[in-house]
Amino acid sequence: MNFFKRAWLNIWVKKGRSLLLILVSSAILMFVLAGLLIRSAAVKATETAKNEAGATMTLSANRQAAFKKMRQNSSRSSSKTSRPKLTLTPVKLSDATKIAKLSNIKTSNVTSSTSANAKSYDTVSTTSGMGGNGGGPTGMKSSASSGDTQIDGVTATSLTTTFSEGQSKITKGRGITANDKNTNNVVIEKELASQNNLTVGDTMTLKKTSGNKATVTIKVVGIYTASSTSSASAGPMSTDPANTIYASYTLANTIKGSKYAGTADSVTFNVTNPAKVSTTKKAGNQLISSQYSLSTDDASYQSVKASMANVAGFANKIVWLVAIAGTVILALIVILMIRERRFEIGVLLSLGEARWKIVAQFFTEMLMVIVVAIAIAGAGGKFVGNQLGSQLVSQSTTTQTTTNATSDQPGGQPGGTKGSGPGNRQAASTKAKDLNLEIAVSAVDLAELGGFGLAITFLSIMIAAGGIIRLEPKKVLIS
Amino acid sequence: MLKIQDLGYWYQDEAHPLFQGINLTFESGKSYAILGHSGTGKTTFLSLIAGLDKPKAGEILLGDHALKQIGLTNYRRHDVAIVFQAYNLFTYMSPMNNLLTAMAITEAEHAGDRAYAKQILNDLGIGDNLVDRNVQQLSGGQQQRVAIARTMCCDAQVIVADEPTGNLDEDNTKAVIAQFQRIAHEQNKCVIIVTHEPDVAAQCDHQYRLENKQFTKLT
Ligand SMILES: Nc1ncnc2c1ncn2[C@@H]1O[C@H](COP(=O)(O)OP(=O)(O)OP(=O)(O)O)[C@@H](O)[C@H]1O
Ligand SMILES: [Mg+2]
Repeated sequence: MNFFKRAWLNIWVKKGRSLLLILVSSAILMFVLAGLLIRSAAVKATETAKNEAGATMTLSANRQAAFKKMRQNSSRSSSKTSRPKLTLTPVKLSDATKIAKLSNIKTSNVTSSTSANAKSYDTVSTTSGMGGNGGGPTGMKSSASSGDTQIDGVTATSLTTTFSEGQSKITKGRGITANDKNTNNVVIEKELASQNNLTVGDTMTLKKTSGNKATVTIKVVGIYTASSTSSASAGPMSTDPANTIYASYTLANTIKGSKYAGTADSVTFNVTNPAKVSTTKKAGNQLISSQYSLSTDDASYQSVKASMANVAGFANKIVWLVAIAGTVILALIVILMIRERRFEIGVLLSLGEARWKIVAQFFTEMLMVIVVAIAIAGAGGKFVGNQLGSQLVSQSTTTQTTTNATSDQPGGQPGGTKGSGPGNRQAASTKAKDLNLEIAVSAVDLAELGGFGLAITFLSIMIAAGGIIRLEPKKVLIS
Repeated sequence: MLKIQDLGYWYQDEAHPLFQGINLTFESGKSYAILGHSGTGKTTFLSLIAGLDKPKAGEILLGDHALKQIGLTNYRRHDVAIVFQAYNLFTYMSPMNNLLTAMAITEAEHAGDRAYAKQILNDLGIGDNLVDRNVQQLSGGQQQRVAIARTMCCDAQVIVADEPTGNLDEDNTKAVIAQFQRIAHEQNKCVIIVTHEPDVAAQCDHQYRLENKQFTKLT
């Protein structure tokens, strides 16, 4: 093990040169580590995206089947003059309960929307003057007669994309929760509240638009604000978004009429693992009849996944490019070092030292350098990784969001769940913008860095070792 | 000890060898000087004896074994010690570590024995204050004495030196040659020195001159 002692003496005595070697190696390894960190952060972010960006599955009436049935009916009864009727069967909550029990389902949100007419209060009218007579946003033929107040019945407001994505926010009181089932509690928009001097705890009344046109008393438990983006996507036919009242779906069903008990316009399920959403859809389809359909939306998950794959791929290239360039640079340095130290090598050979032990000495020296460099890179790599990572993410998400806009549910379910709250489309892009790479140096990263450090050292010494193997002591020492 | 048989060597042109058909014997306990004009091939000859190169013709035998039989690396490690005109020492080490390293590589009997190494250095005038200093802080003469000390601490029976006094002043030259004499006579080793200087050669037991591709015995 004499070569080990020689290596140590050499590194210790020639401190200046050792320091330079450490600096160069640290720089190389810092970039390797930055690449490794970005890659593992991208993998982790994709993992998190599964939970956070999530994916949804929506149970609703099967429009295509309904259209087909309508066409069959109209051709069969062509003699009749009456217009063919599109009958959409409301979703049965019993079906939804069955689907909710599937393993990949995290939460479910029942949506039942309708409209009613204001009685004890005035609605907010839009400047465009469309105020009172907006079209019924439910898309349900049976509740065609529309009122001036939009009632969005939900299981919980926090489960709707409008609230979870932050387009609407509760500013006073609380949102609708599952506990509000079978109550007349509602959440109203701030503008509506201030116009009518309503606050949390107040009651208000509205009138049903169909049947007995009975009066319903509702109680304000919370006030929300809607951002302007949500109104933009609500469509031209809707009333002012400020007239949207959130309530439990049971209240919406009551207003629609008794035959709507235990039904919904649609039920949206949040899935636990977006990667398995299609399997879950298959399992769900087994549980329901063809009157209904399940549609999935994992666009935001897909966009996160794609942009993270971009980042990870790029990080991978960085790692390999830097590793290869680093190996070449170190090899060149070692080659120069061997030239500079040819007398020393010559004396070693003249003493009868084995050539492989001389190579081993150089390897040990570089190993000592690289161990220190790994420590330095470990401390500094996080910084470089953060800088590089944020650059990469901002780049890849801007390209991602543009592709997003077109990848929105192709063809199927045209407006079938219009009432289920606006903003599904924006969800993907908003999520992508929020994305951040969490750069943290883990033991695994350091181990990988160590592996790369070792490999770079080993390869560069192997490349340079030719200089030692070919060196002729006679030519060096006798001139 | 060392037997040279029909030795011949040339670099490019076989028709014009540096020397040819050389037959010589070097005994242990004796010192030899090799003289000759510049470019006659003295260093080349020494490199063959030192096991740094292979002969083109003939053979060198250590005892009964040809060097190629022993293997050149093995021969260099165990049987021969070399002193060059310069660049003999590991510059990043002290005299002590230079000796310890050489003893370790050559698997010498006294490998690892600091007291032994120190004694040899002291004998050659490298005092305690210099023993653990970096060799680059030593003078040329002191460095050359450390190189000689290194040949002494190892077990090699053949010591070869190529103009070991080339860079030294008169006093240092005398001291160094005296050391070589002691190595030959007291340690019973075979010392072969290539030199330009007749004064140096005169102190050795035997002198040869390389001339016209042949070795001529002078004394
Ligand atoms: N590697 C080599 N390739 C070709 N020719 C060489 C080589 N080394 C030496 N020579 C030639 O061989 C001849 C002998 O060289 P060598 O060094 O052995 O001479 P020398 O007697 O030691 O000379 P000096 O007294 O100047 O040291 C010279 O003419 C030299 O030019
Ligand atoms: Mg010479």
